Amino acid sequence: MAQIICRYHKRDEVRWISHLDLKRTLERAMRRAQLPLALSQGHNPHPKISLSPPLPLGATGDAELFSVQLAEGMDPGELKQRINDSLPSGLEVMEAWVLPAHRKKETFGDIDIAQYSVTVKGEVDAARVSEHIADLMGQEELIVQRGGKRPPRSLDIRPFILSLALAQASEDGVELRMRLRTGSHGGARPQEVIELLALNGADRTITYHRTGLFAGAQLGAERASAGRSTGAPRAGRLHRWTRSRSSRERSESP
Amino acid sequence: MDLESLLPRVTKPARYTNGEWNAVHKDAAHVRARVCLVYPDTYELGMSHLGLQILYHVLNSHPDFLAERAFAPWPDMERQLRDHGVPLMSLESRTPLRDFDAIGITLPYELTYTNILNVLDLAAIPARAADRGPDDPLVIGGGPGAVNPEPVADFFDAILIGEAEEAILDIAEAAALRDRDAALARLSEIPGMYVPSNYQAAFDGSGPKGSVTPRNGAPAQIARRFVAHLDDAPFPTGQIVPFLDTVHSRVTLEIMRGCTRGCRFCQAGAAYLPRRERTVETVLRQAEEAVAATGYDEVSLLAFTSVDYRGIEELVGKLVERLGGRGVGVSLPSLRADAFSIALANKIQQVRKSGLTFAPEAATDRLRRVIRKHTSEDELFAAAEAAFSSGWTRLKLYFMIGLPTETEEDVEAISDLVRRVVGFGRGALGSRAGRLRIAVSIASFIPKPHTPFQWVGQESREGLLRKQEILQRALRGRAIKLSWTDPGVSELEAAISRGDRRVGAAIEQARALGAAFDAWSEHFDFDRWARAFGEAGLDLHDYAHRTLDYNDPLPWDHISCGIGKDALQAEAERAFSEGDA
Ligand code: SF4
Repeated sequence: MAQIICRYHKRDEVRWISHLDLKRTLERAMRRAQLPLALSQGHNPHPKISLSPPLPLGATGDAELFSVQLAEGMDPGELKQRINDSLPSGLEVMEAWVLPAHRKKETFGDIDIAQYSVTVKGEVDAARVSEHIADLMGQEELIVQRGGKRPPRSLDIRPFILSLALAQASEDGVELRMRLRTGSHGGARPQEVIELLALNGADRTITYHRTGLFAGAQLGAERASAGRSTGAPRAGRLHRWTRSRSSRERSESP
Repeated sequence: MDLESLLPRVTKPARYTNGEWNAVHKDAAHVRARVCLVYPDTYELGMSHLGLQILYHVLNSHPDFLAERAFAPWPDMERQLRDHGVPLMSLESRTPLRDFDAIGITLPYELTYTNILNVLDLAAIPARAADRGPDDPLVIGGGPGAVNPEPVADFFDAILIGEAEEAILDIAEAAALRDRDAALARLSEIPGMYVPSNYQAAFDGSGPKGSVTPRNGAPAQIARRFVAHLDDAPFPTGQIVPFLDTVHSRVTLEIMRGCTRGCRFCQAGAAYLPRRERTVETVLRQAEEAVAATGYDEVSLLAFTSVDYRGIEELVGKLVERLGGRGVGVSLPSLRADAFSIALANKIQQVRKSGLTFAPEAATDRLRRVIRKHTSEDELFAAAEAAFSSGWTRLKLYFMIGLPTETEEDVEAISDLVRRVVGFGRGALGSRAGRLRIAVSIASFIPKPHTPFQWVGQESREGLLRKQEILQRALRGRAIKLSWTDPGVSELEAAISRGDRRVGAAIEQARALGAAFDAWSEHFDFDRWARAFGEAGLDLHDYAHRTLDYNDPLPWDHISCGIGKDALQAEAERAFSEGDA
C-alpha cells in the first residue's frame, strides 16, 4: 500500500465541470494510466481517491490536490507522467509525492483557507474599488443571501474574509486578491465578495483563479477563543498546503 | 457576446464545452467535408446514444472528413443564445452549424421532433428543405424514427432508412461536392436513402391514410439499409468519455443487433432484422480495448435480448474473469424472465450488484399469445423465485395496457401477478423481506408502423386512465412502486409515429406555440399539441385512434423494413384468432 498526493491545475474548458464530475474524471484517467489502484472492498469496488475542497464552477486553480491509494509503491515521477498522459487537456499534475506508509488516508480535512486571484475585465474605477474594499473590511458584518433552489437565508460572511486587496489596476480592469475561509466550518465564496463590491456587471468579464490552499485558520480561531488573541482569526501561522506541508518539513507564513 | 460569457449563466455549462477524453479535433482546412452530428435532446442523452459515437468514429477515422457534435440546448441556454444573438455551434471547434457542409440529425423518437426544428432555427438554417439555398448545409436525418420519415420529411434534404455506419461515408462524399443540387443527386443514389423532394404525398381524409408516390424516376420503395456482418462493422472502442454523468456512464459493447422473437407490438424487432451477432472473440477484444481507452469501470452488453446471443455464457464468464479483478463490472440490460437468465445474472453478481428487469408485458397467457410474448407464468415465477433465493431484493416488471383485445380482466391480472411475485419475494427473503422492492412500470400500447398492429387504433386516453386507476387501487403496499407513462404522451407518440407528411405542419405549429423537450414531463403539454394539430387543420385523435383497413394505403408504404404488408396482415390476423382461442 502506498499513498500518493498530487497537486494539479484545473484550467481552460474543464473549469466548467463540477467537483463530482472531476472526481470521476480523475478516477477514469488513473484507470487509463493503468495505475495499481487499491480498491475498496464490497460489491461495488472503487478506487480510494480524495479531493481538496471544491472549486466554484467556472473557476480555475493551480493549487488543487488529490490523494490516491495504490496497492503497491510507485515512483512519483513515473506516476505523474502516466497520469498526465491520461488526463484530458486542462488538467495537469504539477507535482506528485509519496506519503510514508504509516500516515493515514489524506482527505484534506484540515484545509480551511483558500486564496483567490479575481480578474475583472471592463471599465472599472480602481480608486473607487480601493475605497470600497476599505469600507467593506471596516464593516462589522456583511450579509449575503444563500439558498439556490431552497428558500434563501441570510449569512454574515465578514468573519470569513481574511484579507482582500486590489493587486493590480490597468486600462483593461483590475485584479483582486483575497483570502477566504472555506470548508465545513463555514466560508465565503469569491463571487459573493465581487457582488458586495458591485463589480459583477453584465458588461464585465470576471475570471476566478484559486492560487493557494491553506490549513490553519482553525488553529487561529482556537487560539482566539482561548484568549490569546482577539478579533477574527488572524492568519498568523498558516500552512500552505504543498508537498513540504504534507511531509512536515516546513511551514510557511504567508 | 461569445459563448464563453454565456456559460456562467446556465445550468450544467459542461453540456456546451468539450475536451472530453477521445473527442477528436481536426483542422477544417485539411478535409473535404465537415459534418456536424446533432442529437436533438440533451448532451447527456445524446452521449448515451451508441449510433452517434459510431458515426463520429467512422467519419473522423477517415482522413478526408471531419465530424463534430451538437445537442439541443436546454431552455436556459436557448434563451441566452437568442437574447444575445449567438448561433448554435458545434462543441469541438465552436463553429456555427450553418458553416458545416452537412448536418446529420438523429431521429431517436417522435417526441424530439420539436427540438429538431428548434436546433435548425437556432442555427439559422431554414426549417423546410424547400426553402434552403446554395449556402445552406445539407440536412440529413437517420435513426430509429426514420422507419416512418413522413412527419419530418419536409425538414430534411435526405433521410437514411436503416443503419448508417456504411452509408455515412457516401453521405460525406456527397457533402464534399459542396454543391446542393449535385449533392442531392448523389444522395439519391445511395442505397437506403430517401430524398423526400423526389416523392409526392397524397392524403385521404383525416388520419394516417394516404400514399407517397415517386417522381423524377425515384424508386417506388426504399429498402432499409443494414450491415451484413456485425463483426466487420466499424465499432469505436475509443468512445468519448463525457465529464458529465450521462445515462450510460460505461463502455457499451453491441453484441447483437436485431431480434427474431417477433413480439407483435415491437417496432424495434420489426425494424432491425436480420439478427446479427458479433463473435465472442471480437467482443472480448473490444472490451479490453475499450476499458483501456476509456477508463470506465463498467462494461455493458447491448442487445435487444442479450440472452439470445449464442455465446452469452462463454462471453459473460470470460469478461468477469478478465475484468473482475480490476474492479470492472459487467452489466446485461436485457435479461429474460427465465432460469437461464438468473444463472447468468448470478455470474455477473460476483462483480456487481445490479437490478433485474422482467418484461412480461401482459399478465394473462391469452393476451401474451395475442402479442406473441412467449413467457409463461410458470417461467416467470420460477425466475422470480430463483432471483430472490440468489439474494436479489429488487425486481422491475414491465407491463403494457391498452393492448389489442385487452379486457379489464387482463388488467386486473397484472395486479394478481405482481402480488404473487411479492408473495414469493416475502417467502424467499424471510427476515430480509422488508428490503423487497418490486418496481412495476406500466406503459401504454402504441401502434407502430411496420408492426402487425400498425392498423390498430390506440385505446382512448380515458380508457387508459381508467385502467391505470384500476392498477393504482389494486397495487399498494410498501414493497411495490408503481409508475406509468402519461397517456397523453403515448397518444402524441402514436399520432406522430403513424403520421403523414401533413403532421410536419403540426410539429412546426407546436414549436411555434413553445413546445420543446416534449419527452421531459415538465415540458410536455398535451393541450398545446392538440391545438397545434388543430391549427394545422388536422385532428391528433384520428392519427392515434383510428383503426385502419388492411387495404388502406399507409403513409409509410414506400418504406420497406423487410417484412411485407401481406405478412404483417397475416400476422395480425393470427394474433386476433389466437386471442379468441
Ligand atoms: S419486445 Fe424485445 S423480445 Fe420482443 S421483439 Fe421486441 S426486442 Fe425482441
